[in-house]
Amino acid sequence: MSKKTMTLNLTEAEMAVLEGLCEKKDLSKTVLLRQALRLYQRVEERLERGDKLFFEDEASKEKAEIMML
Amino acid sequence: MSATTPSDVTPVWLTEKSTKETVDAELWHGIVDKNLADWEAEWIPDLQRRLKLLNQQKVERRFWPQSRHWDWREKLREIERRLANLSFAIMVEDMTQAMMTIDLTKRSRMPGHEGQHLVYIDFLEAAPWNRNDLAEEPAKFSGCGSILINAAIQQSILEGFKGRIGLHSLPQANSFYANACGMTDLGQDATYENLRYFELKPEKARSFIEKGKGE
Amino acid sequence: MTFDINKAWCQNAGARENSLDIGAGVIAADPMFTHEGGADESPEASRLALGRFINLMRRDQGLSIEALAEKADVEIGDLLSLEKNANHLPDVRTLYQLSEVFGVSQEKLMGLSGLTHANDDYVEEAVRYAAKSASVEVLSEDEHMILNGLISVLSENAKKK
Repeated sequence: MSKKTMTLNLTEAEMAVLEGLCEKKDLSKTVLLRQALRLYQRVEERLERGDKLFFEDEASKEKAEIMML
Repeated sequence: MSATTPSDVTPVWLTEKSTKETVDAELWHGIVDKNLADWEAEWIPDLQRRLKLLNQQKVERRFWPQSRHWDWREKLREIERRLANLSFAIMVEDMTQAMMTIDLTKRSRMPGHEGQHLVYIDFLEAAPWNRNDLAEEPAKFSGCGSILINAAIQQSILEGFKGRIGLHSLPQANSFYANACGMTDLGQDATYENLRYFELKPEKARSFIEKGKGE
Repeated sequence: MTFDINKAWCQNAGARENSLDIGAGVIAADPMFTHEGGADESPEASRLALGRFINLMRRDQGLSIEALAEKADVEIGDLLSLEKNANHLPDVRTLYQLSEVFGVSQEKLMGLSGLTHANDDYVEEAVRYAAKSASVEVLSEDEHMILNGLISVLSENAKKK
């Protein structure tokens, strides 16, 4: 499968977060960003269906909605 | 509409059990129309024929081949535009022999490695004539499971997940994943029909694709 | 992006996979499924009793596993697993063949294996007998006694309690 190249401009803060995550998850920047894209697409799919995205507190079982802009 | 040709084809080989001969096969990267057509025209009728026989032998229903109600066409429709999922099929003599779909966004449950990325195998199924848990004739081809696991491992490596894979095994396949593949049994999952959840560690994954057994 | 899977690897894999079943992913909802969590959740005890029975009968007839496999025309692997592995789910045909060779009820063997639902309390009795034996040498007097007990429980004409 052929690949396309893209140049990405990030702020220093954004780059720091990206590099931090990469180090923590032991993934390359490309791999991490591809994961992010996959998740984003999946979330959009559900939101379009009318579903909501929640985080659940393990202890209290309280749900907090994540608002997607 | 489903795609008509797979994005890639890897040549592989299966073993014909009756003659013990090796036959040329293809691993298709992507389940396409042709595979779904085979599933509808060949897999389902053959499965029904075998189920009737099982019924006649009065074997308890809970031991019937567990994957018989999957709807591959429905599954494919759901995942075909998703980046998070990939699918594979094995072909011999222009007939689909096995299929698999994987999810690239799930994480490890292995104690000490929770949260690490892995390739999760959503579904893996062999054509009815390649199975041993059905009545009548013994399986036609063997090797499909290993090749698909190999593919999942290599995809995992490509993604940067170091070969780590996970899956929920159907009960009659527990032995294959535990013994032939060297996967770690993480126990039954009460949230998933009590199926056993297995994971393959990176070292064992490497060993599997190099030598052939997770040792 | 294709993968690197060579012929020799595939040949070994085919041999290794042999009679193993593959399959992963959720069982589609079927209202008639019993909800006991899958095929291999049968009580281990009755399977062990089955294995013990086969083991004792075989040794009583002075047969190796290989010889019995040939006599009964069944797969050696299935026999080995039956005798040694409490999680092994045997072939329906294997049990039929063994019932013929040993002169006991096929249905009862199926019940012990967990392949069919065993209604009688012969399972409990068989397990009790099997629990008494342990070694792998020539049958001792005790083992003969145990085997006779098992045979009477598992034969076609065993009186129901």
